[in-house]
Amino acid sequence: MDRSEPPPEVAEGEDFGYRLFPERHSEAKLSFLTTSLFTFNHKCQVMLRIALDTNPYAQLLLDAMKQSGCTVYKDRHFACEDCDGCVSGGFDSATSQIVLCQNNIHQQSHMNRVVTHELIHAFDHCRAHVDWFKNVKHLACSEIRAANLSGDCSLVNEITRFKFGLKQHHQTCVRDRAIRSILAVRKVSKETAEKAVDEVFDSCFNDHEPFGRVPHSKSDAKYAYRDFQNRNRYYANL
Amino acid sequence: MSSMVLGSGSCATVSASSMADGGAWRPPRTCEDYWSEWKHCKGIRNFFHNYYTYGEVPSCEQWKIDYSNCRKWEKSKSPDAKESLCKSERARILEKQKYDPVWKLRKTPPRDWYLPLGQDKSK
Repeated sequence: MDRSEPPPEVAEGEDFGYRLFPERHSEAKLSFLTTSLFTFNHKCQVMLRIALDTNPYAQLLLDAMKQSGCTVYKDRHFACEDCDGCVSGGFDSATSQIVLCQNNIHQQSHMNRVVTHELIHAFDHCRAHVDWFKNVKHLACSEIRAANLSGDCSLVNEITRFKFGLKQHHQTCVRDRAIRSILAVRKVSKETAEKAVDEVFDSCFNDHEPFGRVPHSKSDAKYAYRDFQNRNRYYANL
Repeated sequence: MSSMVLGSGSCATVSASSMADGGAWRPPRTCEDYWSEWKHCKGIRNFFHNYYTYGEVPSCEQWKIDYSNCRKWEKSKSPDAKESLCKSERARILEKQKYDPVWKLRKTPPRDWYLPLGQDKSK
């Protein structure tokens, strides 16, 4: 958030979703012993390292962010914390940090997906003037992109949520998850969230940066990474 | 993400003199990439993913055409092959630019990206 701007007009009781991440506001730090014995912090750190080192979605996003001038450092830009509710992670634009909910992520595939999802928000923050706090359409756009490109809406994931559909179901899922994400972090009505998503859907659903395509699998992500690495040749010969 | 930088090997170079600059231009992708994109497009997984995402079967013919133009260029530096390839790739880019962006792109990254933690908290 740009400090030179006046503070945003906020709805009464608006907390921008920070209630879901109690450690973000807590001054008290847990001791090393408490963290080691009573939280999933170490497991989160290990899974995060594996995701950053081996997952092609994450690797492409890290490269793209480096190219945009936002090199990501694990210790600076990621934080494993306990969160409330069922939330898996978040992007805190105030501190330029991705928060991973160590108490809610227990499988590597889930970690891969959350890291990708949040890196997409970070990528958007890096490459564009995204007004996270005042402009619901901007938030909606980033949530549409994150749901679309991270694998959140794969058929398998939808089936595990008991959401069944085939023809164009991906778009239904993206729309619904974007609305849910907005409602989780902003004190707006469902109608406001739905309207914002509908207004920006065409533009944001078809914005596939930095992948260039919707990566439905690691194989798709590897093709996308190959194209990204060859972009200089590509644009030089058009 | 990237702006189109027209280098010395760009498609905009006049076709009549393409033999003079023929050393500079090359297809935007390798011929192997066109081939692998075509095979990937035709596969059953992509068929399913396209139907799941867009509700229709994928159209893969253009990758095959691009592959054969790429090989044609490699073999004989054909100006027609070059023009077809350029036209095809530009159409792909225009397809992606159909919609107005929601936000304004930055010229420089956010200035607090690298700030140490604790120094950028506003409260």
